[in-house]
Amino acid sequence: MSDVFTSEAPDSAVRLAMERVKAAQSVSDLEGLELGTVIVNMGPQHPSTHGVLRLVVTLDGEVIRDVIPVIGYLHRCKEKLAEKRTYFQYIPIVDRTEYVAGMNCEWGYVRTVEKLAGIQPTRRAEFIRVIVAELMRIASHLVAIGTFVADLAPLGTAMAFYTFRDRERVLDLLEQVSGGRMMFNYFRFGGVRYDLPDGWVEKCREFLDYFPPQIVEYENLVNDNAIFLQRTIGKGVLTQQDVVDYAITGPNARASGVAHDLRRTRPYSVYPELDFEVCLGKHGDVYDRYQVRIDEMRESLRIIRQALAMLPQGPVQVGTLRPPYVITPPPGACYTAQENPRGEYGTYIVSDGSRYPYRLKFRDPCFVNLQVFPKLLKGVKIADAIAISGSMDLVLGGIDR
Amino acid sequence: MSIAIGAVKLAIDDLGARLGAELGADLADLRVQEPDTLVARVDRRRLRAVAAQLKGLAEIAYDSCNFVAAVDHVTHLETVYHLYSYATNSYIELHVEIDRDNPVCDTICDLYPAADWHEREAWDMMGVRFDGHPDLRRILLKDDWIGHPLRKDYVDLLENHPNV
Repeated sequence: MSDVFTSEAPDSAVRLAMERVKAAQSVSDLEGLELGTVIVNMGPQHPSTHGVLRLVVTLDGEVIRDVIPVIGYLHRCKEKLAEKRTYFQYIPIVDRTEYVAGMNCEWGYVRTVEKLAGIQPTRRAEFIRVIVAELMRIASHLVAIGTFVADLAPLGTAMAFYTFRDRERVLDLLEQVSGGRMMFNYFRFGGVRYDLPDGWVEKCREFLDYFPPQIVEYENLVNDNAIFLQRTIGKGVLTQQDVVDYAITGPNARASGVAHDLRRTRPYSVYPELDFEVCLGKHGDVYDRYQVRIDEMRESLRIIRQALAMLPQGPVQVGTLRPPYVITPPPGACYTAQENPRGEYGTYIVSDGSRYPYRLKFRDPCFVNLQVFPKLLKGVKIADAIAISGSMDLVLGGIDR
Repeated sequence: MSIAIGAVKLAIDDLGARLGAELGADLADLRVQEPDTLVARVDRRRLRAVAAQLKGLAEIAYDSCNFVAAVDHVTHLETVYHLYSYATNSYIELHVEIDRDNPVCDTICDLYPAADWHEREAWDMMGVRFDGHPDLRRILLKDDWIGHPLRKDYVDLLENHPNV
């Protein structure tokens, strides 16, 4: 391998890539690999990976022959931290796992602890949770769509401006509820921290009226654009078999036509009372993954509208919990999963009856979805790899934890 | 291939009875934990056989591995497998006890590709060696990290990470 250059001593991922190239050359199962094979580190500081994802890419000219994802650059020991904090102290840390969808992550954790400890949240709190979680889903999909289109073509930069402009409005609403724009610390065991402020419901309804024309604007901007269509249709097809094998969840699975939506398949909270469609794609390509996210934003608006109409009066926290909120769930283990903007966000907690979680494990959707990359990217051109990885909507904070 | 979630309507008790009949003693303490989740203990040496059988079941196959977690119980380690069946829209949780001094467990990542990284994470964080795993490298920590931080007796020393 005299033609492999690296500036530093290669780490295990690069060594693995080199070994695979060597093995392929000796048995020559990959045609043409001898000529001009280059191993490139894409990332961790690559603008198109939206975070510190590193792909060790074996290139044959422009074509990708092999991909080895390397993660861990954003590892902050979230699971270890849980073992040294009380259940209550850990809530703000959950925000920081999948930071683009903080509300949903908090909900997942809080629900698991509630289930372990046998706490039933109040009904008003359940509706508030649904509303903020769906607002968060819209904000998260706006980031996904904006950055994804921005990666594709110069026209996309405009898209990023439009989506981030509207995301500001969502974050303003969430800020008025919780006091935070990214890191909310809003959920509590048995409810939420604050009731909705005066006039918030009207402001939220204003947003519901404001937003649908903006979605049409996004669609007008790119849906008929020849460059956009060329770069998305038929690219990076995820088959239903891939979805099953790699346990892909969320919009990425639904774009392939798998109607897996935990709000339906494993209903929680008050979702059974709300009417909404599970948005599906047909082909599982990059375009479908984009379109499913657009459609889901409309469904989220529907859910919020219904939840606002059904919002009951009453307390937003159960009265039994008072500061310092120390709870000691009985010994046992519990797994709950819920539909985050990126897929199934699961929390597995083992309790030993003390004030601290004995073991906590997150099942992060992006961590699982990323595993399919080597299969998905093999044989595609490197420019398409950008489109594909953008359409999978990865958040490294969740992957690395 | 078209996937219909929950196409096979089967009460969880009936599903448990059917699994008990098919797999017999391999699924120890099989019980219903939640309306859609069964839990069972599996012997370490039988794990691969059980996983292959669960995946190969007619109609009600558990075709997807949701996640794998490792837990340090001080006396022993435990790996927890969460499998999902699209047809019945239900889960099964397999608990496998692993010797703490010789933490070896068979891999299931050839049966369930999704288990690959979870097993690497279990190795990285808890030091469970998965026999037969094709690429058992550290995943979240650096290559030269010493020790497995989520073990209860892990002590973080400066010399554990020489290049920091």
